[in-house]
Amino acid sequence: MATNKSRVIQASKGYILVDTKKCQGCMTCMLACSLVHEGKENLSLSRIQVIQNPFERFPRDITVAQCRQCPSPACVEACPTGALHVDIENGNVRTVKVEECNGCRECIEACPHAPHRIAWNFEEEHALTCDLCANTPFWNKQGWPDGIQACVVSCPVGALKFTKEMPAQEGDSGYEVNLRGKTWKKMGYPTD
Amino acid sequence: MHEMNGYAGQILRLNLTERNVSAIATKDYEQWGGGHGIGSALFWDLVADKTINAFDPRNVVTMMTSPLAGTLAPGAASRVEVQGIGPQSYPMEWFTRSNFGGRFGAMLKYAGWDGIVIEGRADKPVWVDIRNGDVSIKDASDLWGLDTWETQKHIWQEVGGEVGYGGWVSLGSTKSGGESTQRPAVVAIGPAGENLCRVACLIHDAGHASGQGGFGAVWGSKNLKAISVIGTGSIDIADPNALMEARLWSKKYYAFDSDDPVKVAKMGKYGRVRLNSFGYQLAPGVFWKWPQGSRPSACMGCHAGCYSRYDTGLGNEAKCITTLFYSEFDSKRHSGIVVRAVFSLLERFEQKGAAVLFNMQFGKQTSAAYIAADLLQKYGINAYELYKGLKYIRELNRMGVLGPGKRIDCDLPFDKLGSTEFVEKLLRMITYRQGIGDDMAEGFFRAAKNWGRLNEDLETGLLAYPYWGLPDHWPYDPRTEIEWGYGSILGDRDINEHDFNFLYWLSSLSRWVRKEPPITAEAITKIFSEKLIPYEGDPLMLDYSTENMYSGHIAKLVAWHRHYTRFWKQSVLYCNFLFPDFYNRNTPDKRGLTGDGEPKFYNAVTGKNLSFVDGMQVGRKIWNLDNAIWTLQGRHRDMVHFANYIYKVPFKDGSLTKSYMPGRKDGKWAYISLNGRCIDKARFEEWKTEFYKLEGWDPKTGWPRRDTLESMGIGYVADELESKGKLGIA
Repeated sequence: MATNKSRVIQASKGYILVDTKKCQGCMTCMLACSLVHEGKENLSLSRIQVIQNPFERFPRDITVAQCRQCPSPACVEACPTGALHVDIENGNVRTVKVEECNGCRECIEACPHAPHRIAWNFEEEHALTCDLCANTPFWNKQGWPDGIQACVVSCPVGALKFTKEMPAQEGDSGYEVNLRGKTWKKMGYPTD
Repeated sequence: MHEMNGYAGQILRLNLTERNVSAIATKDYEQWGGGHGIGSALFWDLVADKTINAFDPRNVVTMMTSPLAGTLAPGAASRVEVQGIGPQSYPMEWFTRSNFGGRFGAMLKYAGWDGIVIEGRADKPVWVDIRNGDVSIKDASDLWGLDTWETQKHIWQEVGGEVGYGGWVSLGSTKSGGESTQRPAVVAIGPAGENLCRVACLIHDAGHASGQGGFGAVWGSKNLKAISVIGTGSIDIADPNALMEARLWSKKYYAFDSDDPVKVAKMGKYGRVRLNSFGYQLAPGVFWKWPQGSRPSACMGCHAGCYSRYDTGLGNEAKCITTLFYSEFDSKRHSGIVVRAVFSLLERFEQKGAAVLFNMQFGKQTSAAYIAADLLQKYGINAYELYKGLKYIRELNRMGVLGPGKRIDCDLPFDKLGSTEFVEKLLRMITYRQGIGDDMAEGFFRAAKNWGRLNEDLETGLLAYPYWGLPDHWPYDPRTEIEWGYGSILGDRDINEHDFNFLYWLSSLSRWVRKEPPITAEAITKIFSEKLIPYEGDPLMLDYSTENMYSGHIAKLVAWHRHYTRFWKQSVLYCNFLFPDFYNRNTPDKRGLTGDGEPKFYNAVTGKNLSFVDGMQVGRKIWNLDNAIWTLQGRHRDMVHFANYIYKVPFKDGSLTKSYMPGRKDGKWAYISLNGRCIDKARFEEWKTEFYKLEGWDPKTGWPRRDTLESMGIGYVADELESKGKLGIA
């Protein structure tokens, strides 16, 4: 049972948006995320997931699943130890105190989105969440709340965008953004 | 996890005869770097008799990644080097190499394996299921006969189970095996490989191919249908911050930016043709008309999306020659009368390059071009053989020699060339060895031999197969792009290494659009030559003039090219599309990141302190080991010769009006036309002697020498050569 059900959960001050049609499926964001947070490369440890089917038609061939920093985070509600909490000192990002995580996976089960946006570190048996790079022990750059996100800066095509505005919560369209402009059109790709 | 940062620590060893799975410690082969180096060393150790042919069960196929696979290193995150004796070349089935991208290499690393060794032959069709450390050799009777795409989808179904994809799939129990959202990375053969077509290849996802060498047929001979891998493990990185910063450094200073109007405008100046530079052009390397709805697609971790996926679902992930294979024929058949007339004119004056560009701009493309590409992928057929082979049989048909009821009886409807019907029939004939398809399945060189046309067509160049029974790599002809031809004939295959092609495109493409090249010949050769360490500072290495093409400077160019590609591109596995980066228009001084970039990522991942020249020395060692293997296979310098047309027929391919390369004319640098040139056979013989001496090989035979091998710490190779009477004499 969550211990923090009674308190008001403050909205995150930051969100990651994606232009899925611009994404080139290179998974550079996943490699960067895993690297700066864990110091190693492992797609399963990335907090952003790019899922693709090479035989599928564009644009259905790629899905990008980033943490939505939900205003009513079911993962935070579900956490029995408070390890997964709202970090008030870091722009209210939803994040895991790894040392307090007991590996129960309640947060994972509670996430309403498919694929669940909490990653699972099976080697160390604890949850991993997108903290907007608030805590990146393996990267000397300043992350959240005043700095940059590894996934956004490393994306070769600029398909990810950071925003401070809360996206529309119904469905997925709030987390999609069109980042394809005139240059994209000039290169012969669709901009709609 | 282990001591070797970047490496997984073990190589998977599959004995298909015994159905046995074991591991080789990567540490035992670490000195070879990865990829090709380790593959050659493994082949040396595991294949005692190197004179066997490709289909012998004792042939060993290696698939090797590198310490950079699965990491942020751009262009090196997921390439795999495939090696073994390949059935495609002639007269010798050389120990050869091929390479593919996508995501298989990275996934293999995440599963805990640096590579795979495939030995023996299964008694029945099998596939290999790798899930982290759990490896099973499974019955493939349900898969045998399926095309490569269907095979992969079946395997995904088996591994993903009822969960399917779009969520997280567990390996083993949820907590202990890890989870992944990814589909397994699968590499498979199609029916072409099953039927031992020498032109068969390995296919991964929709369009990543280990194309050259005929490895599809080698797998077929081993009854191996597919290898699937899914991994949830980690790769240790020595200096994660340095790796992340290196990636951002390369992006900021050297890479193309699709949101930058200045950079995009520069690209637009030359149309969509790629000029080799680091991540230079996001626009893909395809040679057909782009359907309206598409995205650039990239291999894992790569900066430059060199292919596409389309809203038609046709042609996904096809690139380069796979897209060119049928696009012109399709366009010629289906375009309007004016466009068809222009095509005829371009063909009459042999303006092949202009025809390609013209098609992309003005031709009418139907689904035939894309379906043709997809059929190559699904059947698992080498695009280059079919690209050149179709042109060949079409000419024979025009000459009245080949066709229904002709001397070479070929039941193909040439009046429907350019249609889907034609290409479906052609590829089916080859895949299933139907009628004359049985000859073509052996490769068009052997087919020409069977048809009694080989000598004649190699004299004229009608069969443009200049080296080892393999097709040329238009427009990089041995008579003009000399490092390409020399490197290919001194090795085992069409080298397919585009390192210096920028010099061709820069000058020749400029002439097509009637603009001056953005940089003079003298300036560009200076920039390139600065980076040709350890031979730096000799611009004559890039003088492609006839006066210089047999010189010691060119010997150094070819040696540099062999050593650089053997280590940095085929062992560390930096992709041919991005590396080397000599000249880069994104930087103030126009210098690219080659020299600095290659070691930067490598050392950040491994924690080593390898310099660029250290890598070149390992590359030289690998190249020497390869020559030792070829020597044991039976190589002698007397075999190292091009097809006769290279010596006798003046180069006249008009591509983009003429073929220009930098060179000196009357002592001054210029972009010089190379039309009308042949290779002089006698002078080439002299040049070979010079090259062999430079490499420390016996100039009488071309065989490695003991002193050379011992200087590189591989004296045991000399022992083996000596025991077989094949050691070069100092």
